[in-house]
Amino acid sequence: MRIGSRSVGGWAATIGIYALALTWLYPFAWMVAASLKPTAQIYNTALFSGDWTLDNFRFLFGAADKLDRPFLQATAISALVTLTVTASVLLTSAFIAFALARLRFPGAKLFGDFLLLQMVVPTAMFILPLFVLMKQLGLLNSLGALIVPSAMSGWGIYMMSQSFKAMPEEYFDAARLDRASLWQTVTRIVVPLNKSIIAIVALFTFTGTWDNFLWPLIVISDTDRMPLSVLLATFSKQYGGYAGPVMAGAVLQTLPLVLLFILFRRHFLQGMSLTLK
Amino acid sequence: MRPLPHHRRRLSREAIVGLSLASAYLVFAAIFWAYPFFWLARLSVTQWRFFDEPVFTGARNFVRTIQDPQFLVSLWNVVRFLAFYLPLAFGGALLVAFGLRHVRRGKAFVALCFLLSNVSSGVALSLVFTKIFSSTGPLNTLIHDWTGARIPWTSHPTLAMLAIALVVAWKFVGYYGLILYSGLLTIPAEIYDAARLDHAGPLTRLARITLPMLNAQLMMVLVFAILVSFGLFTEPFLITGGGPSDSTVTPQMMIYETAFRRLQPSHAATMSIIVSLVSYLLIVLARRLFEKKVTLA
Repeated sequence: MRIGSRSVGGWAATIGIYALALTWLYPFAWMVAASLKPTAQIYNTALFSGDWTLDNFRFLFGAADKLDRPFLQATAISALVTLTVTASVLLTSAFIAFALARLRFPGAKLFGDFLLLQMVVPTAMFILPLFVLMKQLGLLNSLGALIVPSAMSGWGIYMMSQSFKAMPEEYFDAARLDRASLWQTVTRIVVPLNKSIIAIVALFTFTGTWDNFLWPLIVISDTDRMPLSVLLATFSKQYGGYAGPVMAGAVLQTLPLVLLFILFRRHFLQGMSLTLK
Repeated sequence: MRPLPHHRRRLSREAIVGLSLASAYLVFAAIFWAYPFFWLARLSVTQWRFFDEPVFTGARNFVRTIQDPQFLVSLWNVVRFLAFYLPLAFGGALLVAFGLRHVRRGKAFVALCFLLSNVSSGVALSLVFTKIFSSTGPLNTLIHDWTGARIPWTSHPTLAMLAIALVVAWKFVGYYGLILYSGLLTIPAEIYDAARLDHAGPLTRLARITLPMLNAQLMMVLVFAILVSFGLFTEPFLITGGGPSDSTVTPQMMIYETAFRRLQPSHAATMSIIVSLVSYLLIVLARRLFEKKVTLA
């Protein structure tokens, strides 16, 4: 029997797994350290030594005039596009998922099957014909091309509806007795009781849009309309020698995602076990 | 007109609300999913160069695409990638899953450490790994201090593919690990107790109980891994640029190059259809070979 105590091997395994978990964070640590060092010291100093400076970030934000790389503006574009897409996906998914999970209407089952079919077909296949569509709509090289095709998400609807289906019917009986409107039912009853799945959909939509690379690379050609992900990649391609500023840009690109992840970690871990079923 | 009975009217109002919400999405899907689908099919059987009228050419695109040596190399590269990626992904994920079950305090912290790479920026971290793998980068400095040699991570065909596989595995192992961990939790402890009574050693228990009981989760990881490998773009595009000599070119990079650099959208459309079919067939094959219905008798 082992109650409260562990064998030596057990302790070694515990320490090993902690060490591995911390090793997993090494690329983040290296990125942050490199962004705070002069470029000349990045490769020849130990991780936590060097002359700490914010010059790389100053250089990055000054690159708008000198190198035609408007990083501040690209960050604003990324934020605008990502927040709009996330808000739109959450709003539409919540209502449509409510309809799918809780309202009886002809064809509801067929609608659910259609969502499943959409998830099976790989999205990468659509990039070229979607480009053709954007061209026909005259949206190329505009923020509309980054926002409109992602404004709704079949995946978001499906995920939320799975969670909404599990709610007890009593909540909705009470809502009916109170003559609650559709808006009230969704915002006051459904949303507060399904925070985890909504957080998951929000986090994945935000991350996927903020870090989308191939799509904006194709539809945006002017540097002053590029989101941060593409601007950073083109900057690195052309000025790869400026390792410090490139790493400062990488920190800028990573920071919102990491902050959001840490902020929502509890919902995220709860929601993960939901998505894993 | 006679008003409908109360409950009938409420039901039909419910149906109207449901139908209008569902059709809002169906209109969106018709524009941004069905219409592109139609264009893809059309492009695959026509010759088109972005500005002229598509000319019907029948099966010529397919014949040309399956004979395109560079496209075939990109498909073969998926196999080379999987050869490195699958052992890394499964080994790492099992380690994470067993680790999570073993650890008593700080489970959430360990899980979050492994998951951070999954939810952070692929673009930024690809740039970071470009530096980490460079000839004077920290990884080579470490290896040089230990062995006196430097590893040409991005200029040797096989090592370049290994480097890409390492980066992608670093990104997904935490997620796969959590999938396996959720499976581990569902295995009843009595089975292990019974196995101990029968003097089954740890390796026997792993091979005869744990892995078969995890079949559903392992299959899920395998399917995800295959999907990832066919969808690779950002990491090879930014870390190796497809080189050296096309050894890390992926199907998605080929489609991008063909459509937007060489301006041959018909050719590229045919490629993306073939890539989707091949990935689908590979998943079906994997399920035929490895999927088992496990029941507790």
